[in-house]
Amino acid sequence: MKKGSFAADIYLSKCIENSLAVLPAWDKILWFGKPEVFPPQKERASKTMHDALYPFECRQAKLSYTGKFLVDICFQYDDGAVIREKINFGQFPIMLKSKLCHLRAADDSRKLIAHKEEPSEMGGYFILKGLERVIRLIILPKRNYPMSMARNSFRDRREGYSDKAVVIRCVREDQSAVSLKLYYLNNGSARLGFWIQGREYLLPVGIILKALVDTTDHEIYVNLTCCYNEERDRVKGSVGTQLVGERAKIILDEVQALSLFTRAQCLRHIGEHFQPVMTGMQNDSYKTVADAVLRDYIFVHLDNNHDKFNLLIFMLQKLFSLIDQTSVLDNPDSLQNQEVLLPGHLITIYLKEKLQDWLLRLQRLLQEETDGEKKKFELSSLADVKKAIDKNAPKQMGLAIENMLKTGRLVTQSGLDLQQRAGMTVQAERLNFLRFLSHFRAVHRGASFAGLRTTSVRKLLPESWGFLCPVHTPDGEPCGLLNHMTASCRITSYYDSKGNVKDFFKMRMSILNVMIAIGMTPSSPKLVQAGPPELLSVLLDGRIVGYMSSDLIEKAVTHLRRLKLSSTSSIPVDLEVGYIPLSMNGAYPGLYLFTSPSRFVRPVRSISAPAEEGNDLELIGPFEQVYMEISCPDGGDGGRKTVFPPTHREIHPTNILSVVGNLTPWSDHNQSPRNMYQCQMGKQTMGFSSQALNCRADQKLYHLQTPQTPIVRTKAYEKYCVDDYPLGTNAIVAVLAYSGYDMEDAMVLNKSSVDRGLCHGHIYQTETIDLTEQSVKSDRAQRLFRRSNLDKSSHRLIDSDGLPYVGQRINPNEPYCSIYNEITSQTTSMKLKGSEPVVVDYVSVDVKNKTHLQKANIRFRRSRNPVIGDKFSSRHGQKGVCSQLWPDVDMPFSGVTGMRPDLIINPHAFPSRMTIAMLLESIAAKGGALHGKFVDATPFSNTMKESESESSSLVDELGSMLTACGFNHHGVEVLYSGVYGTELTCEIFIGPVYYQRLRHMVSDKFQVRSTGQIDHITRQPIKGRKRGGGVRFGEMERDSLLAHGAAYLLHDRLHTSSDHHIADVCSECGSVLTSSIIQPPKRAVTILGLPPAREPKKVTCLACRSSKGMETVAMPYVFKYLAAELAAMNIKMTLKLSNGAGA
Amino acid sequence: MDGVSYQRFPRIKIREVKHDYMKFELRDTDSSIANALRRIMIAEVPTIAIDLVEIEVNSSVLNDEFISHRLGLIPLTSERAMSMRFSRDCDACDGDGQCEYCSVEFYLRVKCLSDQTLDVTSKDLLSSDHTVVPVDYSDGLDNATNKGIIIVKLRRGQELRLRAIARKGIGKDHAKWSPAATVTFMYEPEIYINEDMMESLTLEEKQELVDSSPTKVFAIDPENKQVIVVDPEAYTYDDEVLKKAEAMGKPGLVEIHAKEDSFIFTVETTGAVKASQLVLNAIEVLKQKLDAVRLSDDTVEADDQFGELGAHMRGG
Repeated sequence: MKKGSFAADIYLSKCIENSLAVLPAWDKILWFGKPEVFPPQKERASKTMHDALYPFECRQAKLSYTGKFLVDICFQYDDGAVIREKINFGQFPIMLKSKLCHLRAADDSRKLIAHKEEPSEMGGYFILKGLERVIRLIILPKRNYPMSMARNSFRDRREGYSDKAVVIRCVREDQSAVSLKLYYLNNGSARLGFWIQGREYLLPVGIILKALVDTTDHEIYVNLTCCYNEERDRVKGSVGTQLVGERAKIILDEVQALSLFTRAQCLRHIGEHFQPVMTGMQNDSYKTVADAVLRDYIFVHLDNNHDKFNLLIFMLQKLFSLIDQTSVLDNPDSLQNQEVLLPGHLITIYLKEKLQDWLLRLQRLLQEETDGEKKKFELSSLADVKKAIDKNAPKQMGLAIENMLKTGRLVTQSGLDLQQRAGMTVQAERLNFLRFLSHFRAVHRGASFAGLRTTSVRKLLPESWGFLCPVHTPDGEPCGLLNHMTASCRITSYYDSKGNVKDFFKMRMSILNVMIAIGMTPSSPKLVQAGPPELLSVLLDGRIVGYMSSDLIEKAVTHLRRLKLSSTSSIPVDLEVGYIPLSMNGAYPGLYLFTSPSRFVRPVRSISAPAEEGNDLELIGPFEQVYMEISCPDGGDGGRKTVFPPTHREIHPTNILSVVGNLTPWSDHNQSPRNMYQCQMGKQTMGFSSQALNCRADQKLYHLQTPQTPIVRTKAYEKYCVDDYPLGTNAIVAVLAYSGYDMEDAMVLNKSSVDRGLCHGHIYQTETIDLTEQSVKSDRAQRLFRRSNLDKSSHRLIDSDGLPYVGQRINPNEPYCSIYNEITSQTTSMKLKGSEPVVVDYVSVDVKNKTHLQKANIRFRRSRNPVIGDKFSSRHGQKGVCSQLWPDVDMPFSGVTGMRPDLIINPHAFPSRMTIAMLLESIAAKGGALHGKFVDATPFSNTMKESESESSSLVDELGSMLTACGFNHHGVEVLYSGVYGTELTCEIFIGPVYYQRLRHMVSDKFQVRSTGQIDHITRQPIKGRKRGGGVRFGEMERDSLLAHGAAYLLHDRLHTSSDHHIADVCSECGSVLTSSIIQPPKRAVTILGLPPAREPKKVTCLACRSSKGMETVAMPYVFKYLAAELAAMNIKMTLKLSNGAGA
Repeated sequence: MDGVSYQRFPRIKIREVKHDYMKFELRDTDSSIANALRRIMIAEVPTIAIDLVEIEVNSSVLNDEFISHRLGLIPLTSERAMSMRFSRDCDACDGDGQCEYCSVEFYLRVKCLSDQTLDVTSKDLLSSDHTVVPVDYSDGLDNATNKGIIIVKLRRGQELRLRAIARKGIGKDHAKWSPAATVTFMYEPEIYINEDMMESLTLEEKQELVDSSPTKVFAIDPENKQVIVVDPEAYTYDDEVLKKAEAMGKPGLVEIHAKEDSFIFTVETTGAVKASQLVLNAIEVLKQKLDAVRLSDDTVEADDQFGELGAHMRGG
């Protein structure tokens, strides 16, 4: 089964260790040690017995799938022995099928089934309070790559700033990131900007340069200007210009102006300025503060100051070249400069921050305790310290992670260098398999882009070829922002293909060795090298490792690529060899090597390198792809000149499609938006959502009773085992205008087909009743499930345990469970809402509380057989609504076979939509059905054929299948009218098409009301289907009635049937508000047993103090309300009454 | 119009009769009668099918509705159906299966006790009436392989216990009561070959013409190399040959007409009634319907009610 490589991998220990290693230790007394996370276990009274907690139990009991999270805290007093103490940090959510998950051991489907899971369960999500949630993949700027950018907002930073900058997102080994911006000033200088605690600090670049290493002005000058060579000015690939030297002078002058000459002075300067903002360093020397700033904020991915210095020089050169227009901007919206945020990384950086906060709080707490008045607190006493630790609520840590996953919200001060703080997780809906799968393959551009008015971020760029599916993106609001990875695309992680943790240090060392062997000059602190076009910088994961002559470099690249394929070399298979060649004012040249995790990669076939050991599949990334020559089987030579022969070849043209996009048969014959619609509709199809249906307690599950596998299918169907979760039915579809009920995308279903089970389905709905939850709020009443012995009426439905009988049919407003309150001795029952009967499918109870049942799941089943108004769709974006269940005998029939269609669609569905593949599917499925075999409908497959001899078109191929069985070549048949028995005037296109039943069903949507609840303020009907409200008769509806002149109807809808009211109006003062009813004094006089005559209501105007001018006027009640509202604003409304004719 | 009689005397010639298959010719009538016969066979000849299911125990993987639906679709032998009563018309009972005039009771009691999956089939249904039983599809030869229609499969420990009541009904109400798998008719084609024109064709052209029809209507006589009609009824009115002739520049080479008054019927039943019986029953139902129209007071009433419209409706 397919899954992203990221899915099951949560590299807890490794990342936690990393994150803890850099935590600030306080006075060398206290620091974090080894973290430990345990597999999920059940809460039990006895401490010795530990039962494993399985995911299905979490789903049913609405628990979280979490394991105990312990961290060693180490104490050391006065250089004494280190004391380790395990502290419980609460419950840590465990991803399914990760290392700590119980399902990890279940490697085959039988074991999974034994654990009551899907046979093809692939994990990758969390279970929190019974809900399955996935961490979204979010696009981030590519790490450790300096990117040139232009933003108008840069100008607003401060006076003199230009709109250009070089930006780098530096990522530490523990995945936490710090972004740095190198701004260009209009005077030729540059500023380095970084954020500390929500504020951006801008430093002159010269100070940083000097602070990083002991250097002289001359060295800096030479380093900066090395990229300029007078002889090579303005030749291909040269990036430097004369101006660089002048700018270097300005930079150096700036530092001098601040009278900073030595490294020590620069460090002091930095330390002085940053001491207030560096937490916990109030007492340290300026130099330590400055070191901390350089360590924690400047190029955090590098440890060595010389490397930092070199990178800063490189960035300055890139910035100057951008200004001098010898290189172009990098596009931040292009996939070339992007990577993705992985679930493990997000949890790690979030946890790191939480732990840091916790340690800081603990530090403060200990400080307070020791400084406290009582002086009882002894820092050396372990018990006291532990008490303080307990006070600091360590268990909140697990809860914080759980809450983050549950809500998708990051509660953080720093923002973790991420663009968004909400929407990090989504619920993994199991509506059907495709939808579930898509949650794991979806890549979101980031919530901050959703509000952007420009469409540039949503554009489909050529850089995403092969990595993001061009078809599978929703239309409408999130279009282009929510993309899906292609079927072959995966993401690099800390683990290699065998599941072992990668050793990045070893990897980099071997790459370095290889590079040096080929002829790279390794960078050394004081070495000054010429720049492009003679020498190109070689960057490995954002570190300048050396320089290489531009003549050699191409050879080096091919050599590296060959080593990537070889299994014997220690070069990682997913190494990205981003070689940006020399060009005339193109992208800034260089050789950029990446081994980092969270990059996109995809396999392509290497054709230049001799296939070693039969492995010619090379993993390439989007950064290198742009500069590679990859031929596509259906693209011919792609306009490529012979000078650039293809070095790689696509495995199959369908590799640009996502899993869902791959399932559309012959999508290459469809108009492209139709394929997009199908990707949408495929995900809202009612299908076989789960095979472990009986073990699930989802709120709502859609289930198709008799699904089929499509006759016409792509290769992807077998590859992704879609047959395990089928999604539709092969229906015999006739394309004709018949009965008139197939107009405007409506479709006519054959009633007998529906009788026989076509598209029958169910909705499974689970109600969870938790008595403990409710009793906490109320008066701690003991409540249990029990039925009343007095009221026998419900005994038909409810068993003696207070829960319904399984298999029992329950009608609306009938009770389905009854609850007994021990204190009030009252029995209440829960009644079924809605308007349709349900069947009790399943009842499960939580037996944790052995004496009294407190929690129960009741699963209802609603039959959803096709009715008028239900939505169906073929696999080609052709959706329609069932408009009639037409009698079988009235359907047209074939004279030869006697066959009647299952459904009829209108021929007008085709000309404008051009879904040719649907016609092909019909012909192919007919042929396939006649021959008893499946038909392969993989798109672009004609280009993959080995022999070119078969020049026949697809239609001829399919047509010959039909003629072989005595059918018309084009899939048409002579049909006879079912009503008259006469031949229809033309031949009708008829054949099986795979139809999906969509989840939108009238039974869930219809809304009707005669009278009912009204809003108590306006006295108009309330809204909302659930509450029995009305359908809004809005402004546009009003307009249309006005235009028709249907005044009576208008009056009826908006007044009589809405908020008709008879108001008493005082004609003297014209007020509707001042009327008051005078209660006539009660005269208890009854005249001879007759009922007392109704006295006419006495109404009086309070303002005029008379009832003389009181009149009754019919008006909408809101009008009176309006008058009251206006009165509250001191506006008086007066009515002038007249008797109709007069003005 | 008055006085002229359009009465015709339709003839039926039976070509082939099997238990559940029949082919016959219907001549000297028009499409309205032919289609009426077809429609009645599909939708209005009564059969017996399970209509009410009381489930006692169901621990199988399929839910109650699913099993009930499957039970309903099992064809039951319905020779008795014509003489039975609709349960809605039955005075003797309230349709609870106790009454022999309108309903038949079935029991299904199966439990799987072995490790092998147990197929619950239509043969496990126990009928209270030996004339109404699930249709036996075995052709008498190999009973070992043919075990009836599978209802559900049970694993060890699963059990299915239910009582079902079969009732009389017609296919119009629900497809489960339809006795016909397929009923279709075609107009008998008349094919004329213009011999003179045909002579002008070469042998290859003749072969092309013959091959242009997807079904084997024409052939070339191996002796005199003439195009002959081998099976006119194989013709599906697809006009392929006519189009071919036109494409050859010889319109009128072949002429095909549908005879307006003769039909070839193909009837296939589900096994609930014999194919021959189905046709007879259909004619019976048609007669009853005609009688109902002729004898009904409604005809007169309708005249009063609709006035001129009534006359119009009768073709006046």
